[in-house]
Amino acid sequence: MTQTKMKTQNNPVPTVHRSMAERLSNELRFVPVAVGLILLFVFFSTQSDVFLSSRNLNNLLVQSTVTGIIALGLVFVLLVGEIDLSVAATSGVCAVLMAMLVVDSGLPVPLAICIAILAGMLIGAAAGRWITLIGVPSFVVTLGFGLMLNGLQLLLLPNTGRYNLLNTGVEKIAATYISGIAAWLLVLSVIAIFFYIRHTTHQTRIRVGLNTSWGSSVVLPVSVVAITLIVLLLFLEQLRGLPMPAILFLSLLGIMSYIAGETRFGLSLYAIGDNAEAASRAGINVNRVKIIAFSIAGGLAAFGGILSASRILGVSVSSGGGVGGGALLLESIAAAVIGGVSLFGGRGMVIGALFGALIIATVSNGLNLMGVANEARLIITGLLLVLAVSVDRIIDNFASSQ
Amino acid sequence: MDKKQSHTPLLQLKGISKSFGGVQALSDVSLDLIPGQVVALVGDNGAGKSTLVKIMSGVIRSDAGQYHFDGQQVHPTGPSMIAELGVQTVYQDLALCNNLDAVQNLFLGKEPTGPWWTGYRISRAEAENRSKSVLKRLRLDNISLTRNVGAMSGGQRQNIAIARSILWEPRVVLLDEPTAALSLSAARQVGSLVRELASHGHAVLVVSHDIHHFVLENTDRIEVLRLGRNAAQFDSSEVTGEQVVNAMVGGVEAVNMAG
Repeated sequence: MTQTKMKTQNNPVPTVHRSMAERLSNELRFVPVAVGLILLFVFFSTQSDVFLSSRNLNNLLVQSTVTGIIALGLVFVLLVGEIDLSVAATSGVCAVLMAMLVVDSGLPVPLAICIAILAGMLIGAAAGRWITLIGVPSFVVTLGFGLMLNGLQLLLLPNTGRYNLLNTGVEKIAATYISGIAAWLLVLSVIAIFFYIRHTTHQTRIRVGLNTSWGSSVVLPVSVVAITLIVLLLFLEQLRGLPMPAILFLSLLGIMSYIAGETRFGLSLYAIGDNAEAASRAGINVNRVKIIAFSIAGGLAAFGGILSASRILGVSVSSGGGVGGGALLLESIAAAVIGGVSLFGGRGMVIGALFGALIIATVSNGLNLMGVANEARLIITGLLLVLAVSVDRIIDNFASSQ
Repeated sequence: MDKKQSHTPLLQLKGISKSFGGVQALSDVSLDLIPGQVVALVGDNGAGKSTLVKIMSGVIRSDAGQYHFDGQQVHPTGPSMIAELGVQTVYQDLALCNNLDAVQNLFLGKEPTGPWWTGYRISRAEAENRSKSVLKRLRLDNISLTRNVGAMSGGQRQNIAIARSILWEPRVVLLDEPTAALSLSAARQVGSLVRELASHGHAVLVVSHDIHHFVLENTDRIEVLRLGRNAAQFDSSEVTGEQVVNAMVGGVEAVNMAG
């Protein structure tokens, strides 16, 4: 057998057949939750005429962004097998900091936003440093950090307990819509970038003589992403175009998916989450990776808080979910977990944050339209959380029992 | 395959002693590892096997004695220094990540990546291709590259851990109890892999309890430790299991049978 022959065709080891359960517990982990989301959409569209209207979809998308962005950061912390209970408080205190810098100090809005995000990253890094240095469980450290940050938030607020952000420029972020040519260019360039990434992977595999298929590794994923984005755009164009918060959320989602799924740093998150000792022996600086994960969570939480402030035109005592994080904290964790990210580390995908946040927003939005009371909304969200975790566990058990 | 059966030791320990508190774990132990040879390190529990492996891999330092590598005396400062010399150790717990596949485990921490502006994007194709050729060379091409190692059998996991240790072309491979938790057939797979390593010119040391099924069949030399001392040395092809066991426990035939 010549070298070239081996390279092209004669692969003596056909890739061992992997069962569906095995694939669902790994690279297709988002599929069950995506199916769940579609079912919810079908259900609510039969219950309410306005559910599928452009206006409502726009609302739903915008409603999911703050929870989604905070959940996005949490995914990184969960992947390394830790948890951050201070993300909601971080989002609150950083939003207040930004408001203070804009209103009291008169700083330009972009600068104030950068400082606030940086502060969020520092808070995350500090928590991460503390956890890795002393070896205290992150659960406790971040709980304490959260309470401290709640206190700090109250200290930063003026006596009125509120900063008004109307006419400061901050409100423009949430109120901006991109439509027409610009929106199409944006969507098409995102599709092009995604295509480029998949295509180069495919090309390299051909070059070194590995199994690959143009259909399943390029055409299928690119068309799914392209069709989703174009349908979304067509829907939203009927109203005002793409809402800026959603654009920001989806862009962050893309960047973070790339980092977690393609880079060396991303792989080290998964390795640490499964076996920190093995990762450490392989030369990975476990503490450093964990600290970076916490600081990503802190930075994204701050960003979520700023978006929230921009939407509701101000910050107050209840920014960041109020004392203890409230519904914002619980829903952010729930979003990540519903999205298939394991609380025990090492399993889950970044895109889970999107699906999780969308499911929570959809339930809330749909039940509202049906006129169901708030109590029922909480009960159903809670049930979905339990259901989602159970489905993941059943799939994992199935995959490992084969 | 260069089967250079030179008899110059590549790694040589002379007069190694080590005590922990009041317990003398090793006293005046010597050991030679020769390229292309598999040496079995056997002994009863507490004979000092693990301590000796840890000294060889640089995890702990000896109190007395000399460590020679490639004819030069070296002073081990830690595991990374020993690894740089070209000595790789596979510990009993394997240190694999169950949620990653074979390729990701093989290259963990040393992935080939793109430049900084790609965020050090892993060159998956390159890693996969190299993994494929390493596994092929070791006749392990029945191992799936894309399956999570958590879903694999004990023997396959052991073999992946061994394959990882030789990915960076070490000259010496130390295996701590590679067959301890394996079925007979899986142990046989590991045994042929160990022979394969030696045939590629690596000097191999295997710690094992499995005298009859593993040591006699797959090694060239047997070094027996008892109570922290060299108790006997045998040529694997000229000894019975009973003789080895007697040497381990201090029975009547504890004599040096090596030529």
